[in-house]
Amino acid sequence: MAWVTWRQHRSQAFAAFGLLAALAVTALVTHLPIASAFDHDSLSGCLPPATRTGCDIIVPHFESQFGGLVTATRILALLPLLAGLFVGAPLIARELEFGTYRFAWTQGVSRRRWLLSKTLLLAAATVVAAGAASLVLMWWRSPFDSLEGRMGPGGFDIEGIVVPAYALFALALGVLAGLVFRRTVAAMTATLLAFGATRFLVSDFVRPHFMAPLHRVISATATSGMPGDWVLSNTLVDAGGRRITAANEELAVVHAQQAGIDPHTYILTLGWRRIVSYQPAGRFWTFQLLEGGLYVGLALVLVALWLVRRTPA
Amino acid sequence: MRPPPLVAHGLGKRFRREWALRDLTLTVPPGAVVGLAGSNAAGKSTLLALAAGVLAPSEGSIAVLGRDPLESPEVLGEIGYVAQGAPLYRSFRVAETIEYARRTNARWDGEIATELLTRIDSRAKVGALSAGERARLALALALGKRPRLVLLDEPFASLDPLAARELLQLLMDGVAELAATVVVASHVVADIQRVCDHIVLLSGGCVRLEGDVEELLESHRLLTGPRRPLGEIRGVREVVRERYSGRQLTLLVVTDGPIVDPSWTVHPVSLEELLLAYMAPERLPNVRPMERVQLRWHG
Repeated sequence: MAWVTWRQHRSQAFAAFGLLAALAVTALVTHLPIASAFDHDSLSGCLPPATRTGCDIIVPHFESQFGGLVTATRILALLPLLAGLFVGAPLIARELEFGTYRFAWTQGVSRRRWLLSKTLLLAAATVVAAGAASLVLMWWRSPFDSLEGRMGPGGFDIEGIVVPAYALFALALGVLAGLVFRRTVAAMTATLLAFGATRFLVSDFVRPHFMAPLHRVISATATSGMPGDWVLSNTLVDAGGRRITAANEELAVVHAQQAGIDPHTYILTLGWRRIVSYQPAGRFWTFQLLEGGLYVGLALVLVALWLVRRTPA
Repeated sequence: MRPPPLVAHGLGKRFRREWALRDLTLTVPPGAVVGLAGSNAAGKSTLLALAAGVLAPSEGSIAVLGRDPLESPEVLGEIGYVAQGAPLYRSFRVAETIEYARRTNARWDGEIATELLTRIDSRAKVGALSAGERARLALALALGKRPRLVLLDEPFASLDPLAARELLQLLMDGVAELAATVVVASHVVADIQRVCDHIVLLSGGCVRLEGDVEELLESHRLLTGPRRPLGEIRGVREVVRERYSGRQLTLLVVTDGPIVDPSWTVHPVSLEELLLAYMAPERLPNVRPMERVQLRWHG
């Protein structure tokens, strides 16, 4: 089956290889000015514990200079979806659409073995490709990671072991969608929607609760605090610890302005504080393992679903 | 003793609400070349797909070479199945298609396949082959498995008569060598006539006629005579079809003895006439000659 899999999926392998090469070249070219700016401004000195002055000016300048690029890399969170769309979804749907299943599944290899061996080989290739993409992105993002951390979705979603895990999940999702919908385009659409929905739900509602978030009380006028942490919420509370709504905050500011007082000073005199809820930077690999495990588990559940489902007939 | 190559028992297959096959019971004798006849949508493709494990039965059971093709898919290695339209990977070259079959079949015999493909360029893409070449390739793939049962679904449908005849010859040569049982589905009676020694005629998802070709031809006769009300005819068990032309009446009958009535002229029947008569939709099932007279005479 290895030869069969290679023959039927080599064009996808070439496409994946081309995509990875393009990603690596782009990363290399765009990394050069970043690295030189990082060295030129001696930004390593601004890493905690900061040993030099002026970091509060240099770091934001550096971040805004390359902010566009960093934002652009967020689209790469969709890379693992490609495995589902272009490898998983057509795997069975194409055979059904072109009638070739009547050839493929009537040879000496049973269709269960056909499906399992193909999927295992494709899953291995997917893990390798997604792992390589993840390594390239980790290397590219390393200056930003050292300054602003990678717990936030911008870094977390495209680094580490979650990238291959997402790709495996997308692949399994695509195969199941092809089995259910029997048409390539329908299967691709279903894969896209299900993958997007799952990723959104997990990153917004599940990931923040992998471990109980930590809390920190800071001055009402301070910014959120430690770089590298993933800030989940930043709430203004009064002296008694009650939450202050945005409208009330606005009122206080207006009140201060009318009275001719500096709003910051006014708020501090009221005894207001901020409570920051966050996941610390040090939990990165724990969270990666938890989320990676979650997606690999989901992929296995999907595989179990196709095995249970009766053969298409 | 080896189990019969194909046994169906109360077999039925439903697609949504429509039954494509219903309550079909059939045993194919070993070594036979079976013509699976029937009009379009009679259930021929469905029966072959069930035998090849491509479809799952809705009711009843089917066993090929003594095994259920879905429960024991390893039996498919001993079955050469060519689906309708000979579906193959269009982007594969001929040689790659052969390689596919070689790698997925433990019993693969490259020589049988090569013999059938002498005139086809092995570097050609399958999608670029003519209908005849493609049918030939599909047949080579099926016979290369050294099958004990060959299932062909309308292999001649897209071929010109010459190519069809050539393919048929290749098939018969290959099958003779392998001593395999063959089931060929076709709605073209001429195809079946030439090679089959056994007939299974499906109509509306049921077996309408089944038997050895020689015996069937022996037991059926055409009677012609002047038009008259039908009574009991000695030697006739059942009237299959009656046809009127002017004052002439032609009956296709099943005999159970010699017909001695001098007012009838008795002719042997050709297989084509026989199949067409049984395929005809107006035939009412199991109506005895006398009842039939009452039903039809005033109409």
